[in-house]
Amino acid sequence: MLSTFLSHQRKSFWRSRNRGGSIATQILLGFFMLYFLAVAVGIGFGMNIFLPKVFKGVNILTSFNGIILYYFAFDFVMRLQLQELPTLSIIPYLHLKVTKYKIIGFLNIKALFSAFNLWPIFLFFPFIFTEIIDEYGAFAAVMYAVAILSITVFNNYLILYIKRKSITNVLYTLGGFILIAIFGALEYFKIISLISVSDTVFRAIGERPYLGFAFTILAFAVFKLNSDFLLKNLYVEELGTKQERKVSTDYAFLNRFGKVGELAALELKLILRHKRSRSSVILGLFFLLYGFFFYRQKLIDTDSFGKMMFAGIFMTGVSIIIYGQFMFAWQSSHFDGLLSNKINFKNFIKAKFLLFTIGSTIISLLSTFYGFMSWKLVVMHLVCYLYNIGFGTVIVLYLATFNYKRIDITKAASFNYQGTGATQWLLMFPYALTPMLMYLPFSLLDLPYWGLFTIGTFGVLMLLMRGFWVNLITAKFEKQRYKIAEGFRE
Amino acid sequence: MILEVKKLKKVYGDKTVVNIDHVQIRAGETIGLVGNNGAGKTTFFRMILDLIRPTEGEVLSKDKNVANGDDWKNYTASFLDEGFLIDYLTPEEYFTFIGSLNNLSVADVGAYLTQYADFFNGEILNSGKYIRDFSKGNQNKVGIAAALMQKPELLILDEPFANLDPTTQIRLKQLLKTYPGNMTTFISSHDLNHVTDVCSRIILVEKGKVIKDFKTDENTLKELESYFSA
Repeated sequence: MLSTFLSHQRKSFWRSRNRGGSIATQILLGFFMLYFLAVAVGIGFGMNIFLPKVFKGVNILTSFNGIILYYFAFDFVMRLQLQELPTLSIIPYLHLKVTKYKIIGFLNIKALFSAFNLWPIFLFFPFIFTEIIDEYGAFAAVMYAVAILSITVFNNYLILYIKRKSITNVLYTLGGFILIAIFGALEYFKIISLISVSDTVFRAIGERPYLGFAFTILAFAVFKLNSDFLLKNLYVEELGTKQERKVSTDYAFLNRFGKVGELAALELKLILRHKRSRSSVILGLFFLLYGFFFYRQKLIDTDSFGKMMFAGIFMTGVSIIIYGQFMFAWQSSHFDGLLSNKINFKNFIKAKFLLFTIGSTIISLLSTFYGFMSWKLVVMHLVCYLYNIGFGTVIVLYLATFNYKRIDITKAASFNYQGTGATQWLLMFPYALTPMLMYLPFSLLDLPYWGLFTIGTFGVLMLLMRGFWVNLITAKFEKQRYKIAEGFRE
Repeated sequence: MILEVKKLKKVYGDKTVVNIDHVQIRAGETIGLVGNNGAGKTTFFRMILDLIRPTEGEVLSKDKNVANGDDWKNYTASFLDEGFLIDYLTPEEYFTFIGSLNNLSVADVGAYLTQYADFFNGEILNSGKYIRDFSKGNQNKVGIAAALMQKPELLILDEPFANLDPTTQIRLKQLLKTYPGNMTTFISSHDLNHVTDVCSRIILVEKGKVIKDFKTDENTLKELESYFSA
């Protein structure tokens, strides 16, 4: 029975509509997975090199023991966001002659197929079977491994239980990260040390290996808790996340824009009421940290804006780029309705411009915190902002008229590449290269501020020409609308 | 002439889906489009609503080609499928939005909706759900009510009776029959009883072609039944 279930799962994976067409994205995803696993293996075998470097002057065993609980805390928070509930797939079996135990068994097994359950093995096992085995002997090393696996299983099923019990949301994940950060800080200031707790626990296993079974018991308890909960609540409507009462909302601040504002409000609701678009927004906020990778004091001191501009463009324009790459497709499920109703296409396009401008303005204001590094960055961000709302919006909307791929935005967001094609990636070239090429001659002449000034002026000019661009894109949209609508119908 | 179709043709690959030589529809008529699956009904409707570009020919609404302008949208309301609903809105938000497109205030919309309390059977308004969470039948009701709310001169509905419960089917028939004003109604249906009951004229299509086009009388139902059972 179990193997039948698994073979159905395999078929549903390979035969699903989204996957069939995009083998390329599958391969890309495969590479990502391989990459992360390779990284895990690398870290795993390099433990005895990395650990002394990170924790200077600390016994290597102490630091190894110390990071284990930290890792699993991090693992827990990541799972909270990324691990998905394997529930919906069982609906077709519930009414058939299959016992509940078998269905639950299937759910439990399926839940183990997660990359999160592989990483700990790659990360910790090499060290355990090279170093721990020398220190405490073979039995202790095996019990270490048992403990690690047990905690992995514990996390795995605890997450599922939590997810089934309540509505989790992104805020919990964010809160979890902050909590870990606080513990890290407390560790740093030597107030409370989770590392020493972790060390004490695992040192105990090293000395009295049978203590490792304590984790196994815990893991089994959570497993049992989860299974019992499933057994009692094996109803489709109870397995999914609970429904809140939905209320109508009105965005008063958009009303001043008349019909355009109404269309923008409609789209704002679309963004806020779908998982996929909501996580795009969150992703955009995370990208605000992008600057820390790019902005170096040396670059700032030498006014090398060319090397930092990409980050500036990307951060201030992230809402335009991420949301804009699937433009019109967000509305693919009701595109026919939009076309056949009394909506002026010009207003439709204007609403997109309005939404982009608002989004970019908010995120650019947030990005001013880089001013703490240097006022120059604020100037650069302003220039990037002007470019983004002036010309970036135009590129995105013009290219959007060539996008006929439907997306189903009710589907989960993480690792969802549906609707992604070559055009999405090509988008970045004209978008990011235009300002850089404009800046290049000034950079060669060693006139960085004139370069910034030019891009800023260009942005403002394009902004003043917005009426022209709106007409151009509207005309293009009118020409392309049959093709777009056909593509969105599939 | 509220609607006139001339030499309309739609070809996909080597398959002709719609091939209609000439059809005229006068204001105030109630017309039923009948035909088996694959007869091209929905494609025909989509071309009338300018959602699909015809391969050949044209659709004229009040003597203007629908593909060349938006004037027809001022007096045409339609509901073909769920693709016409903005499903992440609550029904109230959707009605308000559609109302605003037709310059109806929130109060107008509210007043209009109170007339439909019976039709909605207490399940649509104040339900605390988005449209996507409704059953198909209730989604249909929202779409039909939103179309009627626009007080159109031309109403186009694709299989409005499908998925509706018997009570609502009867109510909808009454609505369509007695709707005030000089409304032209163009509906498709698989339910021969309902179309012959509601419509004053039936257009029968098969494989994209108009086979019959006639006024309904007491023998129509029998005629249609014998056609389809043959």
